[in-house]
Amino acid sequence: MPAVRSLAGQPVGLGQEGAIAGGAVVELRGIRKRFGSLEVLRGVDLTVHAGEHVVIFGPSGSGKSTLLRTMNLLEPPDSGSLRVAGVEYGPERPPGAPSGTPLQLRRQIGMVFQHFNLFPHLSALENVALALRRVKHLDRAGAEERTAAALASVGLLRWAAHYPSQLSGGQQQRVAIARAVSLDPQVMLFDEPTSALDPELVGEVLAAMRKLASAGMTMVIVTHELNFAREVGDFNVFMEHGEIVGSGPRGFLDDCPNPRARQFIGSVL
Amino acid sequence: MTFNWALAWQYRGQLLNGLVTALEVAVVALVISVVVGLVLALGRMSRTPVRWLAALWVNVFRGVPALVSVLWVYFGWSLLLGINLTPFESGVVALVLLYGAFHAEIYRSAFEAVPRGQREAGLALGLRRSSVFFHVTLPQATKVAIPNIGSMFIGMVKDTSVFSVVGLLEVIRVTDNIESTTFQPFVLYTVAAAIYVVVAFGLDFAFRMAERTLTKPPAGALSRLLARRRHRRLEAISARAEAAPAHGGGPGPGAPLAVLAVPEGRPVLARTAHASAAGNPQPQPDQ
Repeated sequence: MPAVRSLAGQPVGLGQEGAIAGGAVVELRGIRKRFGSLEVLRGVDLTVHAGEHVVIFGPSGSGKSTLLRTMNLLEPPDSGSLRVAGVEYGPERPPGAPSGTPLQLRRQIGMVFQHFNLFPHLSALENVALALRRVKHLDRAGAEERTAAALASVGLLRWAAHYPSQLSGGQQQRVAIARAVSLDPQVMLFDEPTSALDPELVGEVLAAMRKLASAGMTMVIVTHELNFAREVGDFNVFMEHGEIVGSGPRGFLDDCPNPRARQFIGSVL
Repeated sequence: MTFNWALAWQYRGQLLNGLVTALEVAVVALVISVVVGLVLALGRMSRTPVRWLAALWVNVFRGVPALVSVLWVYFGWSLLLGINLTPFESGVVALVLLYGAFHAEIYRSAFEAVPRGQREAGLALGLRRSSVFFHVTLPQATKVAIPNIGSMFIGMVKDTSVFSVVGLLEVIRVTDNIESTTFQPFVLYTVAAAIYVVVAFGLDFAFRMAERTLTKPPAGALSRLLARRRHRRLEAISARAEAAPAHGGGPGPGAPLAVLAVPEGRPVLARTAHASAAGNPQPQPDQ
């Protein structure tokens, strides 16, 4: 669907209603990814602007998570390229553009996983402090101070000495959010952050994300929480069979021009 | 034939020395063989030429008996390479060759038991591969490996018994010597067996403690005691930070994830899209 892709390739996020001050933070161009004989991404173009909240939704196996994971090269694309914070990555970079390293890329991007992926052998505080020490090279006191602030911001300072096994799923995911945000990333990626949670714990995680969104963080969110998507999504992307089938600005979910996306939205709600 | 059990007490000093020697060989070999095993395990998970070499070591030395290994090292290295090791050194090398192979297999399965998401989370945080290994993967794999390493260590202590053939004065060599003057084989070998059993019990207990200490949160009274200082420190940080309002304290409205998320100097975004959110400050019910 080249028409849709070119639409996504332009700075359309909120082009009609209000200009976004920031430029493109993440630009995906022609991303393809194959697992064995299965092509999970079939040429995806997507641009994420500074401060923008992009929501990606679609049925299982449509390639949403894989797309998100190519943004920090946890899944290196087979072809295509990406540009993040002005640096080019991937196999098909523009001629002459030097490639950034995965490490360089990941230090610009924070990620929150479906299954939290906290380190079970470290307390909540140590989970956050580890990367502050190893990536930001803060000393112990500095890392702990920043960690305390990060945990306080998600309401979990009291739980600093607890281990992941002593925390609820919602608390673990909030620690995971604090862990990623404390590193001050340019973009935050959320890979179905509430899908593994008990229904009553979803709210606290969404509240933390909402706070982050209103603070101006650039976010890319893969989610099935379409109410939340409606609320924070500046740009909505519907994926199916490894392609962006439809996309649009705020309101896309309520007034969707794409019949397949409309059908999907109807079945979820 | 009368059994003279008093011999055990009479020769306690020699027997104890024999045990100390056996434990020394086993402990030195344990430390080295765990490191060797770790390197071999990583070798088996890396590129092909390295992987083959590591697999060769593992498959060869897993099949060699300790007796053959120590004879090969003590006499073979001397004849072939001119390396003359003491009985103690030969014992250590023999055990490292064998148990390095076993520890490689233990660590390989332990690394496979660490969920893939752990490594991914480390990488996604921007940690270097080496940091991910030393701070994320290795501690978790070690916790999985510890009980098996403990079993191996008991085996290593027992295997020192065959090092009597190269003249190492461990428990069995000492027992042989006493037997040759007292002619009480049943008593003396029963005592030797009892020594090994008691040591195995003690080692089992020690490794259980290690395992419980590596469990998070620490399980059991003793391991909690060991982890107490660290825990107090963490509690102190959380208490101190909570007392300081500079950090925004609790989770009140507008608590500053914003402070974290947007450092000074980042452009504030103007967009009408935000107006809808601003006009609707109450959080929506989530689904």
